Amino acid sequence: MEYLLEGFKALTPQQVVMWIIGGVLIFLAIKKDMEPALLLPMGFGAILVNLPLSPVIKDSGIINSLFQVGIAASEAMPLLLFIGIGCMIDFGPLLSNPKLFILGGAAQLGIFITVILAVMIGFPLDAAASIGIIGAADGPTAIHVANTLLGGGNPFNTLVGPITVVAYSYMALVPIVQPAVMKLCTTKKERTIKMKYSAKQVSKLMRILFPIIVTIVSGIIAPESISLVGMLMFGNLLRECGVLKSLSETAQTTFSNIITLLLGITISFQMQAEAFISVNTLIIMVLGLFAFVFDTFGGVMCAKIMNLFCKEKINPLIGAAGISAFPMAARVVEKVGVKEDSSNHLLMHAVGANVSGQIASAIVGGLIIGLVL
Amino acid sequence: MLNTLLAIFEGLTPMNGENLVAALNILWKGVLAIFIVIALIIVAVKLTSYAIASAEEAKKQREENATKNENQTNT
Repeated sequence: MEYLLEGFKALTPQQVVMWIIGGVLIFLAIKKDMEPALLLPMGFGAILVNLPLSPVIKDSGIINSLFQVGIAASEAMPLLLFIGIGCMIDFGPLLSNPKLFILGGAAQLGIFITVILAVMIGFPLDAAASIGIIGAADGPTAIHVANTLLGGGNPFNTLVGPITVVAYSYMALVPIVQPAVMKLCTTKKERTIKMKYSAKQVSKLMRILFPIIVTIVSGIIAPESISLVGMLMFGNLLRECGVLKSLSETAQTTFSNIITLLLGITISFQMQAEAFISVNTLIIMVLGLFAFVFDTFGGVMCAKIMNLFCKEKINPLIGAAGISAFPMAARVVEKVGVKEDSSNHLLMHAVGANVSGQIASAIVGGLIIGLVL
Repeated sequence: MLNTLLAIFEGLTPMNGENLVAALNILWKGVLAIFIVIALIIVAVKLTSYAIASAEEAKKQREENATKNENQTNT
């Protein structure tokens, strides 16, 4: 009978806490519909890897093997997910109004500010940069950067799990975090600025050339960003080329779903109790919030600055959509805009800023890797 | 006192001046680089759009001229 009690004897209070955290993630996914495709597998994985004597995390265990092959070796999973994301994105609204690209760049401010804050708290530079990248508001980018900077024998390797969980949690919390910051940074008059939307016809050739142009420019100026940007743009080329419809559909649906499912359960390898339960996790949560707040602030303020020079005024709210979090941030902008003036629809402009943020966050991810390593 | 506090936060050390300078370097270099990339992409997109529009315009013109010539020959 002794063998039946081995599990109980090996159980630690920290593991029980991780079961509760796993339960909370599952609750948020099911009940609150917060990023369910990722939070549910991660929540279940958190329970799975924190069972005493769990074989899944041993050297030949399934979660360990998936982690070593899919993330540690080459960050294949987050990068492959970018193909699916690229396939889902229509860059039309951005190509109709390319100056919206500037908002995507400005809304990455939170990443850099958070790196500085994390260094001031006492994190070494690589860990601080990995925490800052939560502000990219993009899960795969956060995993890729954190794992590249903190992989291998880095003593702060244990932060990869909390960084991933915090990144995805705040992405889901965009509708709560952003409106407050948007209102704080703008006046009622600014929030009601109306913008004309003329759906300019973007030629098919332009749509095909765009991913190639972005890949070449990013590759030359920020070579480290090319694995992220390249996969994103490859996915977009599949979508726009027009001759690979079934591949494009597969990448948008089945392929993305499979990678997301595997990524969620695999990343839970980093959620083992002894590594996850620490005060550092709480600090990362606070810094992650700062990153999102400063991102939003950066985007909104950039739109206000652009208004000083542009003839046609930009509603500063759309600057907030410059953070990645596609397409949730754009929807939040539309909601806040309509709340101020029910006839003011900003969605298409916000989508333009939002997709530019998707590209900009991937580029900044690569830049951070290049500047830190 | 500070060291006792930091002991609670596993692995953290008092703020390192060198790291702060490096973080500030990342800030300005990163912001500059992202805006350079964005500026180049905007310029490339504008130039490509202009070239495509010009080419389409020229094509249309050629087609119109061809139709005109055809009509003239017929009459």
